Amino acid sequence: MKKHVMGIDFGSTTAKAVIVDMRGRIIAWSVSHMGAVSDAAVHEAVADVLTQASLKQEDMGRCVSTGYGRRMLDIADKNFTEITCHARGAVAMVPEARLVIDIGGQDSKTIAVDANGLVAQFAMNDRCAAGTGKFLEVLARAMEIELEEMGDIAMKAQEELKISSMCATFAETEVISLRAEGHSKENVLGAVHQSIATRTLGLVNRVGKKGPAVMTGGVARNKAAVHYIEKVLGIPLILPETPQIAGALGAALIGLDDYKAELAESGQTIEEDYEVDAQMAFDKACVTGCKGDPAEAEKNAPAVTGKLKSMMSNLQKHF
Amino acid sequence: MNAPVTLPKPPGAANKLKSTRMAGKLVNDYWEMVWRAKEEGKLVCWYEGSSINPFLEAADIVWVHGEAYSAMLAARHQEGPAQAAAEERGYLRELCSYARTHLGCAVNNQRHRNGSDSAFADVPADEDISAKLPPPDMIISAYAYCSTGQQWDEMTSRLFGKKIPIFNVSIPWIWASGKDAGYCRGQEWEETSRYVARQLEEMVKFIEEQTGKPYPWDRLRELMGNVKKASELRLEAMDMCRAKPAPATLFDWSVSIAPINQLPCTTDIVDYFTNVRNEVAERVRTGEAAVPKEKYRLFFDGIMNWNKLGWLAEKFARYDAAVVAGRYTHMAFWQEPDLIDPNNPVMGMGQNYLICPNNHSSPILIDLIMGLCEKYEVDGIVFHATRTCRAFTNPMFMIAQEATSRLGIQTTMFEGDVADETFYKDELLNTRVEAMLEAIDQKRLSAF
Repeated sequence: MKKHVMGIDFGSTTAKAVIVDMRGRIIAWSVSHMGAVSDAAVHEAVADVLTQASLKQEDMGRCVSTGYGRRMLDIADKNFTEITCHARGAVAMVPEARLVIDIGGQDSKTIAVDANGLVAQFAMNDRCAAGTGKFLEVLARAMEIELEEMGDIAMKAQEELKISSMCATFAETEVISLRAEGHSKENVLGAVHQSIATRTLGLVNRVGKKGPAVMTGGVARNKAAVHYIEKVLGIPLILPETPQIAGALGAALIGLDDYKAELAESGQTIEEDYEVDAQMAFDKACVTGCKGDPAEAEKNAPAVTGKLKSMMSNLQKHF
Repeated sequence: MNAPVTLPKPPGAANKLKSTRMAGKLVNDYWEMVWRAKEEGKLVCWYEGSSINPFLEAADIVWVHGEAYSAMLAARHQEGPAQAAAEERGYLRELCSYARTHLGCAVNNQRHRNGSDSAFADVPADEDISAKLPPPDMIISAYAYCSTGQQWDEMTSRLFGKKIPIFNVSIPWIWASGKDAGYCRGQEWEETSRYVARQLEEMVKFIEEQTGKPYPWDRLRELMGNVKKASELRLEAMDMCRAKPAPATLFDWSVSIAPINQLPCTTDIVDYFTNVRNEVAERVRTGEAAVPKEKYRLFFDGIMNWNKLGWLAEKFARYDAAVVAGRYTHMAFWQEPDLIDPNNPVMGMGQNYLICPNNHSSPILIDLIMGLCEKYEVDGIVFHATRTCRAFTNPMFMIAQEATSRLGIQTTMFEGDVADETFYKDELLNTRVEAMLEAIDQKRLSAF
């Protein structure tokens, strides 16, 4: 039986790959930046995770893809949309999350999720690149700075300016014009991030502002974007350690479900599931002192008296 | 996790109704008749919006419905020359593309007759049907809700040198704010009905002035008898689509808009909808599905994307999604035949104009849509955010929120347009619809 599953997020600006084991734990992950829906990037990310995990593609029980290039991958057994995968991945990273804000290269999305990472409702940017990573990329170029520097510089903004355009190209014109008027880079970049936050608020309102909120996607690593979005939302954002791989992780976990279902159907034993079941049983505490082992429970149970004792005697034990 | 939603399947996934093929012939015959109007010495009226065509047909006036011509050009992928002519003339790309296409037809019509008025464009070729519309002898403006409608008529008038007589019918918005207010009831409804009916009586006098003849009321009664019957048959057939699997989809009803909305109100339309009703009934009896592997049932909120009618029908069928109802098809086009008294048709006609789906206050509009979603047991709503139609797009977020909170169903939105395909982005629609179908799958699985 194969013991690993791969998820690939073939995005518009980066490719991400994740390998998980049969318990859904991340074994390896990789992010490759090589431009729009790049074959080279996805091959690099896949090769990298396989090397890290000392595995081969044939060792994967399932390979699931997501992202704009999801249908272009021959190695993928199945593909799912970014919405489904980001929801699943984000809740795996932050189990208490009920709202996922994902700002990727090509689109921004908000997803209301349940405790299982299932999509309750979602909204995506409708018309253009406004409020996306691409928007930041265009404006970084206009400001002649590196994309990675933007957030730090914007955090130093002192004055509130406004960029109203929804179009990345016209916003670029606004940015150049503000710079020509003598406004500082810091203040202009503050306005750029404020503009993204405003667009995000609109999307959040469409699915309902119900926290806790987690932010995923590459833009979650931009401090200023997080700051301005938190400010307009009025709630803190939870940031996973590796927000950019949420989609790939979700794809891998969906692949894992699928693979396990196939194994179960063919009557194969999944040892890791027994381990999980045993752990869950152990973690249960239906009566004081009981952690899934009645004998231990008897031994460790503190004395109970009166009404409480009568209630306890009516409780059904595990075995 | 269930099997993923996948696109690739051989073409021809949609099992369209066979009886609707007749619509193509009826539409062609009708436009041939329109194009011959001047040769036959007929008066021509241009109008948009409300279906006032029976008033004109009864008086032997040839009627040209602006949206219908634009939709026909878009469906045939022949809208380009008209839209280019309109833009060159100065009409913005964000203007309603029905209006822009139709105004382009007016521009090309003038060029065709008078030679090019532009340094940039040639006289349209004979095969360019955007130039074939006969110029109007009169314009009647009778548009519910849409503010562009009246401006469109005014712009048309300007293009023809402001020499064309215009008659305006004001169709008030239904506020539904009174205590007794509701769908087709209450004091406001009674008052606005009488207000519109009075104007329609005045419109008939205007028509008499144009024709120089007494108005043939008997002919109108006869035509409205046909309209009422056709409408009843259409609604009966639509109602049968509650069946699972659905015997017909929104795309069949979209093809059937022309017969109910703008084609001659002869017994042909009664025959058309009799055949449609019979085919639908037969499909229900035999269990024949419009989408062979119906797995999802969806509601479509928005005007049809006419350039993409066949494309969308195939796309949704490949997703195993039956689009069973929609705001545009199921809430418009003589949708309340009970209000029509063929012996005294004016009041009922005015009332049907009033209940244009956009002309209600939001609570009524939303209740009607939620009612259809429940009736047809849909799993989700697809919103077609029509780029150049604010009137239809305005309440979409509110409708989506109500669908989620009241019915607990999924919604998604894609951008497109009624007649300008440059606003349509296929991959964006794919991602959104697939995400919605995946969420529906997840919800079904988690229910077990």
